[in-house]
Amino acid sequence: MTSISRLPSGAGVGLRLPQIAEVVATRPSVGWLEIHPENFLANPHATELLTELSQHYFISVHSVGISIGSVGGIDRLHLKRVRALVDRINPVFVSGHLAWSTYGGEYLNDLLPLPYNLEALRLIEAHVREVQETLGRRYLIENPSSYIGFRTSMMSEAEFLSELVGRTGCQLLCDVSNAYISAQNMGYDVYQYIDSLPADAIGEVHLGGFTVEEDEASPGAELLIDTHAAAIAEPVWNLYAHAIRRFGARPTLIEWDNNIPLFAALLAEAAHADEVVAGTMALEARCADAC
Amino acid sequence: MPTLAETQKFFRNAVVGDEMAGIQSLIVGGRDASKRLEIHRRNYETSLVTALLGKFPATVWLAGTPFVSEAARHFVCEHPPHAPCIAEYGERFPGFLSACPGAERVPYLREFAELEWHVGHIAVAVDQPPVSLQEFSAINDEALLNMVLALQPGVRYLHMSWPIDELMKLYLTETAADSFEFSPADAWIQARGARGEFHMDRLDASEFIFRKSISEGQAIVGAAERALDADPTFDPGRALVRVVAEGLVTAIMSGSEGDK
Ligand SMILES: [Fe+2]
Repeated sequence: MTSISRLPSGAGVGLRLPQIAEVVATRPSVGWLEIHPENFLANPHATELLTELSQHYFISVHSVGISIGSVGGIDRLHLKRVRALVDRINPVFVSGHLAWSTYGGEYLNDLLPLPYNLEALRLIEAHVREVQETLGRRYLIENPSSYIGFRTSMMSEAEFLSELVGRTGCQLLCDVSNAYISAQNMGYDVYQYIDSLPADAIGEVHLGGFTVEEDEASPGAELLIDTHAAAIAEPVWNLYAHAIRRFGARPTLIEWDNNIPLFAALLAEAAHADEVVAGTMALEARCADAC
Repeated sequence: MPTLAETQKFFRNAVVGDEMAGIQSLIVGGRDASKRLEIHRRNYETSLVTALLGKFPATVWLAGTPFVSEAARHFVCEHPPHAPCIAEYGERFPGFLSACPGAERVPYLREFAELEWHVGHIAVAVDQPPVSLQEFSAINDEALLNMVLALQPGVRYLHMSWPIDELMKLYLTETAADSFEFSPADAWIQARGARGEFHMDRLDASEFIFRKSISEGQAIVGAAERALDADPTFDPGRALVRVVAEGLVTAIMSGSEGDK
């Protein structure tokens, strides 16, 4: 299991393939880096560069292909390949999503939604155990961004995640932007959602940008799309401050996957996350003193 | 209440096959949740079409964006990926593309796209330490005949019926030739790459057959016999020295065991 002394102190950024040569060459000052293993498994050159970076930075491995919600089971070959990469770079976290992507041997290249009921919970519990056993470490599960729910859901997403933590000992990756997007799209109170997550289980936080579209399901209304193609919106920064108050400071990562800006812009977002944490913690300390 | 298996089957059919019947009554979201399925359909199609176009930029240059994009859209619906590593998706796209209506105007399209597929993979390879000529000469000649050689991971042997390496060089150098003579002709190509670089070299037929046979796991004697069938004047000894001297050999193995 990851020891506390190995946790990164400042905010990190997602490292995408187009930026890797620049990061190797310039070694920017940043708390840590997160990668998608699926981008590296068929790219020995990028893996070689990543291995070099792992000597200088905390690395987190964030899988988009370990489909813990698939009824067909985990793709064991893929999991083994992820394990080999994990063994090579010894990351600080390994995480994935509360979602499914594979059906009948097809990989649908998207994080698809699940009903929150007992059948899904039992299936995912078994799969998280399998992932943790194969990787030999704790797995972090990220809350999804949702556009669709299911009539067969019997519990809330926060209840489902809390149950999963209790049953498997996994940790949670709280994507504050995803929480905001899902709550806006599905019509519930996002502050209540954050308050009902098990704070002790939160191992990592994500922040990313979204895009606003017209909701074709409800003409005239807006739908938030989790594109990771823009700067982090103000309401998400506010929600992040609330999450920090509730969870305490957690290793936080900026995700930007499309229309990727200069690396300096990512570093600026990470620096802003650090400022939000510092400001929130200072305010909390003053409140505690005043009490 | 539908099972999770049924739910995922209906969802898959909506995302890949545009069949809404099964899923419609199971989902919620906005006033008409089925409209929101479009987001997942779009994520599936757009992300994979974009990935394919990104993998075949030279083919797009050759055949045009509208034609390749349309083919890619059909390809992702008919041939979903089977694994999460999208860099490995699309090996069958050259064949699919060349069978699309309109592809007949570019008879070398398949070979060109296949070359691009291989170039994309060898350019991200990492060279292994090569076996030296000294290590090689330490093995006695008779034993050597039955040895199998492992070659660098970033090397491919491609026999083409058009000189498509010339066309690829035109693309890579961004040369807009006023006129370009292009007619069918055998091209035996060795493509070699590593760490972001690659190059293509022409071989003569017998040298190509020798090296390709070795790359396919033939013992040296078998590779030499095949090359001699193509050209009785072929000199296997000299050819072998060239393969080693170029740093292509990474391991020497007996036909049935591991490293020697
Ligand atoms: Fe995220």
